[in-house]
Amino acid sequence: MARTKVSKSITEINEKIRRGDAVVVTAEEMIEVVKSRGEVEAAKEVDIVTTGTFGAMCSSGAWLNFGHSDPPIKMQRVWLNDVEAYTGVAAVDAYIGAAQLSETRGFDYGGGHVIEDLIRGKEIALRAIAYGTDCYPRRELQTVITKHEINQAVLCNPRNAYQRYEAATNSGNETIYTYMGTLLPNYGNVTYSGSGCLSPLHNDPNYETIGIGTRIFLGGTQGYIFWEGTQHAPTNAMGTLMTVGNLKEMDPRYIRGATVEKYGTTLYVGLGIPIPIINEAVAKATGVSDEEIKTTVVDYGVPRRDRPVIREVTYSELKSGKVEIHGKEVPVSPLSSIKRAREIANVLKRWIEEGKFYLTQPVSRLSTTQVFKPMKQISAVPFVRDIMTRKVTTARPEDPIDVAARIFAEKGFDHLPIVDARGKLVGIVTSWDIAVAVGKGKKKLSEVLTSKVITARGDEPVDAVARKLEKHGISGVPVVNSLGGLEGILTSEDIAKLLGRRKK
Amino acid sequence: MTRKVLLRYSTKKATEPILASVIKETGILPNILYAEVGTKGGEILLAIDASDAEIDGAIELFKKKGVEVKEVKRAIELDEDSCFDCGACISLCPTSALYMDKDGSVKLDDNKCIYCGLCVPSCPVHALKLSKFW
Repeated sequence: MARTKVSKSITEINEKIRRGDAVVVTAEEMIEVVKSRGEVEAAKEVDIVTTGTFGAMCSSGAWLNFGHSDPPIKMQRVWLNDVEAYTGVAAVDAYIGAAQLSETRGFDYGGGHVIEDLIRGKEIALRAIAYGTDCYPRRELQTVITKHEINQAVLCNPRNAYQRYEAATNSGNETIYTYMGTLLPNYGNVTYSGSGCLSPLHNDPNYETIGIGTRIFLGGTQGYIFWEGTQHAPTNAMGTLMTVGNLKEMDPRYIRGATVEKYGTTLYVGLGIPIPIINEAVAKATGVSDEEIKTTVVDYGVPRRDRPVIREVTYSELKSGKVEIHGKEVPVSPLSSIKRAREIANVLKRWIEEGKFYLTQPVSRLSTTQVFKPMKQISAVPFVRDIMTRKVTTARPEDPIDVAARIFAEKGFDHLPIVDARGKLVGIVTSWDIAVAVGKGKKKLSEVLTSKVITARGDEPVDAVARKLEKHGISGVPVVNSLGGLEGILTSEDIAKLLGRRKK
Repeated sequence: MTRKVLLRYSTKKATEPILASVIKETGILPNILYAEVGTKGGEILLAIDASDAEIDGAIELFKKKGVEVKEVKRAIELDEDSCFDCGACISLCPTSALYMDKDGSVKLDDNKCIYCGLCVPSCPVHALKLSKFW
C-alpha cells in the first residue's frame, strides 16, 4: 500500500473524542473543506465525517423473544396485530419482517408498523397456534405484549443503506404503483432514493473504514454492522449493509412504518455511519459531492428484471427537483428524506462531540468484489408472442356497421380491432358498441370505435399482461409493435390454456 | 389576495349562465379549480384573486342569483408532525402546490392546490388528508 502523508489510528481519534477535541463535520460540510484546502489538509484538520440516510428499507425486521407461557407453547405460526411473523425457529422466537402485510388491514398496516408501534411502547396483540408436543403442550395462545415485557427486541436488517439506487420513471400510458412510488404515465415524474453526498457508503466506497463490527447510528440509538448486506454490489457502486441494534432503545423519529401506495408496507430506517479520517485517501472520498454521484433513470413501465435505461443522471440533478427526459422537464420526488438524513448526520456529529459515541475498528473487512447475480430459472418464462393469436380478423374505420355485426355473429367474437390502411391499430369495437350504433343510427365504425385501447407488446411477459387484464377488467388485448402495427391478439382464454399446460 | 369560493348549483340553476354573468357584471377573473355538474346540480370551485371588497361583492351577487356559496379555507391538510419530508407527493402534484423549500421541508401552498387528491394516497405515513368542501 502506498504510504500516506496523514495517518491516524482509530485509537488516536477515540482519544480526541475522550478529550473533547475531535473535529467532526458532516459529509455535506466536508465537501467544502476538501475543495478549499485539499485532501491532505482536510485529513489533518478533520477527524470524523458523519453521514446519514433516511429511506424505505423493505429489507428490515426484528427478532423478538416473547418468553414462555404456562403451559408452554412451541409457536408454529404467530401474528402480531394480525401481521404474521416467522417463527420457524425455536419455541418463542420470531422475526417480524417490515414488508409483511396485515391479514385484516392490508396495505394500511404491516410489519413496519408493528415495529414502529413496539418502539412507541404500544400494546401489540399476539396470537399463536401450535401442533403441541409433550414438552410444549399448548396449541393456542392470545395475549398482549409491549417492548417492556418481552425479552429481546432486536432490529436486524439484512439489506440497508444502499450506496445509491436507480431512479425510476414510466414510459407506459397508465399510472403504475411500484416500490419506487407512484409513477405517472408518459414520463410524468421521476422518483429516486438515497441521500447522495450524505450516503454512508458513498463516503467510503472502498470500505477502508466501514467493516464488520462498525458502530453506527441506527434508528436513534447505537447499532452495528455485522455483515455485508444481501445483494451487496460494491463494484457497481451499489453496496449494502446488514445492520443490527436494540429496538427497545430506538426512537420513532428515526424508525417509521410506512405504506407505499398499492405496493405494500415497509420501514423507513434512519442510519448514519461515522467515517474516521485515517488518511488523505479517506478524506478525499468523503469530499464527494452530489455532482459526482451518478445513477441511471430506468423505465419501470417495462415489467422486466432488466429495465431499459432512459438516461444517466447525477444526484445533484435529482435533488434540484427537475430532470429532463426526452426534452421535457419532469418533476422529481426523492422518496427518502434528505432533510432527515442531514439531521441524522448532525445528531451523530453531536453524539461524538459530546463524547457519547466512540468509533470502532472493524474486526473484518467487507467484500469489495462481490457481484449481484440474477436468479437461476429452470423453466422458460412465456412471452406474449409465444402464445398470442396471430391471425386476427380486423375491420377498417370506414367500414359500415354491419361489417362488424356480421363478424361478431359469424365468429362469436365480441372484440374487433380496427386498423388503418397500413395495418396500424386505430381502435377497437365491441359487440355492445354495435348495439348502441344501431340504436343511434350510426353508419360507420369510425363513429363508434374506442380509440383508447389497452394494448400489449410481443416481448412482454404473459404474467404482466395477465395483471393488465385483471386490473382493467378486460378479456383480451391487441398486441402491437413499437409503431402501433397490429401483430396479434391475446385473450384471457389463451392465458388460461397456458396455465392449464403449466399445471400438467 | 386569492380566496377560494365554492358554488353549489341546484338542477334548475345549472342551466343559467350565472358564472358568466357574475364575471361580466363584476369584472372578477376567477380561475376554475374544479367543476362537476350532473343531474343533481353541481359544484364549481373558484379561486378569485381580487380585493376583499370585490370578492365580497361577487359572493353577494352569486347569492342573489340563487347559488349557494361557501368560502373554502383549507381542504388538503399536511400534518407536519407526521410528515418526514420524503417528498413522495411532490412530483405527483400537478400545480406544484406541494413543494420542497430550500432546507428540504415539504410545504403546501394552499393557493395553488386544486384539490385533485392525487397526493393523498402517495404519502407513506398518511400525513396528507383531503377534507370535504362542506
